[in-house]
Amino acid sequence: MDKTRLYYKLSSFSKGFLFFLLVLCILIPVVFPFLWMLDASFKTQKDITSIPPRFLISRTMENYRRVFEEQNFLRFFFNSAVVGVSATLISLALGLPAAYSIARYRQETYRFTILVARLMPGISLLLPWYLMFSRLELIDTFIALILSHILIGLPIVVWTMSSYFQSVPLEIEESALVDGVTRQRIFVNIVLPISTPGIVTATTLSFLFSWNNFMFSQVLSMENTKTLPLAVYNFVSYAEVDWGAVMAASIAIITPAIILTMIFQQYVVKGLTVGALKG
Amino acid sequence: MLDSRFVDRHIRILFPLPALLFIAIMMVFPILYTFSLSFTTWNLASGMPPRFVGLNTYIEVLKEPRFWAAMGRTFYFTFLAVGCETILGMIWALILNREFFGKEGIKLLLLLPLVSTPVAIGIAWVLFYEPTIGLANWALKSLGLMPLKWIADQNTVIPSLVLVDIWQWTPMMTLIFLAGLASLSPEPYESARVDGANGWQIFWHITVPMVVPIILTGIVLRSIDAFKTYDIIYTMTNGGPGFASETLNIYAYNLSFNYFRFGHAAVVLFFLFLIVLSFSFLVNRLKDRGHG
Amino acid sequence: MKRKGQVFVLCFLVLAILAGGGFAQQKTLRVLLANHPYMEVLRPLIAEYEKQTGTKVNVESYDENQLTQKLTTEFATRSSTMDVFMTRPLQEGKLFFKNGWYENLSPYLKDSKKTPASYNFADYAASAVSAVTHKNDVYTIPLVTEWEVLYYRTDLFKKANLAPPKNFDELIAAAKKLHDPKNGVYGIVSRGQRGAAVTQFSSYLYNYGGDFIQEGKGAVVDTPQAIEAFKFYGRMLAEYGPPGVTNMSWAQCMAVFQAGNVAMWTDASVFLGNLKDPSKSKVADNVGVAMFPAGPKGNSPYSVVSWGMAVSRQSKNKDEAYKFLLWATSREIAVKAMVDKGITMARTSVWKDPGVQKKFDPQLADTAIKVGPIGKPYDRPLMTAVGEARDAIGEVIVLSIETKGTGDIAGAAKKAVQKVNELLKNAGEL
Repeated sequence: MDKTRLYYKLSSFSKGFLFFLLVLCILIPVVFPFLWMLDASFKTQKDITSIPPRFLISRTMENYRRVFEEQNFLRFFFNSAVVGVSATLISLALGLPAAYSIARYRQETYRFTILVARLMPGISLLLPWYLMFSRLELIDTFIALILSHILIGLPIVVWTMSSYFQSVPLEIEESALVDGVTRQRIFVNIVLPISTPGIVTATTLSFLFSWNNFMFSQVLSMENTKTLPLAVYNFVSYAEVDWGAVMAASIAIITPAIILTMIFQQYVVKGLTVGALKG
Repeated sequence: MLDSRFVDRHIRILFPLPALLFIAIMMVFPILYTFSLSFTTWNLASGMPPRFVGLNTYIEVLKEPRFWAAMGRTFYFTFLAVGCETILGMIWALILNREFFGKEGIKLLLLLPLVSTPVAIGIAWVLFYEPTIGLANWALKSLGLMPLKWIADQNTVIPSLVLVDIWQWTPMMTLIFLAGLASLSPEPYESARVDGANGWQIFWHITVPMVVPIILTGIVLRSIDAFKTYDIIYTMTNGGPGFASETLNIYAYNLSFNYFRFGHAAVVLFFLFLIVLSFSFLVNRLKDRGHG
Repeated sequence: MKRKGQVFVLCFLVLAILAGGGFAQQKTLRVLLANHPYMEVLRPLIAEYEKQTGTKVNVESYDENQLTQKLTTEFATRSSTMDVFMTRPLQEGKLFFKNGWYENLSPYLKDSKKTPASYNFADYAASAVSAVTHKNDVYTIPLVTEWEVLYYRTDLFKKANLAPPKNFDELIAAAKKLHDPKNGVYGIVSRGQRGAAVTQFSSYLYNYGGDFIQEGKGAVVDTPQAIEAFKFYGRMLAEYGPPGVTNMSWAQCMAVFQAGNVAMWTDASVFLGNLKDPSKSKVADNVGVAMFPAGPKGNSPYSVVSWGMAVSRQSKNKDEAYKFLLWATSREIAVKAMVDKGITMARTSVWKDPGVQKKFDPQLADTAIKVGPIGKPYDRPLMTAVGEARDAIGEVIVLSIETKGTGDIAGAAKKAVQKVNELLKNAGEL
């Protein structure tokens, strides 16, 4: 009797332990690079290059000082934020009505057009954009950069929101229609408020993808509007490869993205998986 | 402002209109422009305007070994990356597909590689792969294995880049599969268990058929993104050593912004676009099936 | 919602314009500099210039490839708002002149109102001026001259009882002797990254009796001499170089030298200051510099005007731009660059300046004197499509390094020749 209980206990314990090990096998490779970057960002150049590697030894803020004082990263933060926020807001303004219409009236051609915009290789737009914006003397202005980033945000908004609107029950809208309320009122006063979770998803993703974008800034921005990814890249390409400072810069740029993800975790997961699941 | 009744009546045109106009100006027009450039030879640096040459530029590009090498490499990169990510993602999803304490926390951690700025990630991996001071070779050496040159060797550069891609995107596959598994209806499982099917049979005969559409869509979407990978490759190798990691994207970038041969770049972009467009049709078909 | 949306859009566009500083003020100059030690000298001085003249100077700096890219695209699309820029006469000179992107400086130089006598343009050696002269007119002010040298670690050489190598055989022998990867020291490094490697490979090529282009014949990097040079360079770096050399341009080479991981480095003469800077270099006290070693066919390393400064023809305030150019290329700043950073400036008189003579590295000065009569005035194929040609030739270098010089170098070189000739033909240069 005791023996079987013990066996049972042991087996459930070992099963749990096995599961724990498996989960660890997933987590370590995922998380390790981050911890390692974080650790390196507090190390001196000498400690980073020492072999065998030593962890958690030096505690210097020197790298961060260089990034923020000498390289003026706050300026790039500001640039990235202006571009990300503006592009996201405009994407919402353009994308929400479009998504609603696509969802309600099954406008599959429009949906496909937006899908193509989502899947287009950005590189095929760079060249004409560059020519267009340079004719208009808009290179290195926020306008060009924001316009280009809307093309990142808009498909995300339409893509996630058209699926979301489809899941909103029709009954509420129909009863309002019977009462003679116009459709645009219904959209603003009824549909949008109950779609807040979807909007949060779209907003977060649109901002994240704009924040991380490198290719568009690479061609459309220069000194005045340089965004963070470009600044980090330039930091490496120039002169001494100062690994500590580069790691500090990398940590600085991914931290806002990570914080945003932590706050809106549920929404981000939904947004990223919505494409693959049935609408 | 527009008359509200007018808006009400034409809402199905007016609502999508601004977005579609924007797409037309920022995407359709540029694509058409690029397409028209592909029939010209235009070297920006020559200071001369584009010259119409019919299909000549196409022929020149198709005869260029660098183009075909880049094409092959792009597919190689995509298949290797997406293949590994699919298999790994499925295994991870099966492991995590149960309720346990801390599941949400793990999901959060899985998100981190996805939302991190690719440029920053690429740079971190460059240091990781650094042959003399990098951690990768130190790990190999301490395991008694031969150190590798990673992204500094023409033979290992693509697999090394793929490894970064796997690290970054396997979590995405895992999350998609997890969401897919969670959406499965429980009935078939119950009846199977009543029939006395074992775990493997249940997985193979019930789970797999039900999740196949999800897996397929996930694979196609991921393939398109892998096909377009730019940031990571550009920051880590810029197509080197030699041209060993030059994908179509990087080749097109070099043609346009380093050699300024816009006509030739347009041809490469045309092919790139064609491939992506056919992928898009595939997604749309899969979606349609999902809706039906 | 619609109106709200419009208000949002407007607000943000207005904000964006304001923040972007889209509207230029009066008397503003836009100056593009390269990430080069000279930029590090010039940049901190600009505030003073602004104070003195009341002109606002907006400086941007890029690495050399990005700089070429920005310059070309801006000029070609006629969208340039640039006034003064650093330029590489050998890389871009031909193209920029042909397209009329440089302002002709000769009229300014001849005008004593615009150019005070104290500027003393005659200070530039005739050979340097000829590199920036097109059809008898000067388009660029020569800034920096560079030649290929050998940097070496004096402490390691002393310990191994070695003298700086005088020829390729000694170079290999020294690299072999000092190569000690177990203790983190590699024998020698030199650039291995595709396009970037070509300029530093050029001296090896010349010393084997090879060349890039022959007048009327096109590319000649497939001659037996050239193939020997490719093989030598590849074998040397594969056997005694640090791993990963095929991804290294000067920045990475400098980093491994500063970290104390290599015993020798062949590259341009402008890096000595950074190698001897104790805040950046672990081996600051143990850096020596020597003449580039001779090859089987004698010694003629490149010695070129690597950087110059020019005024854009599309500039809207050329006189202001020219004033800035005169200041930035003045004798005072040249002296400062030589004293502070050990940069090898193009002005000849600064070399005799007492302050420079006291502070400037005597070893480097010695190489300057020796390279004068034997140096070749170019370090890359001279043509308009230099960038693409460098990539094509660089591929042969990479192949040679990867295969330790045993691969099909001849075949690869033939392909490179074809490619370069095609580019020459397209530009009407062959």
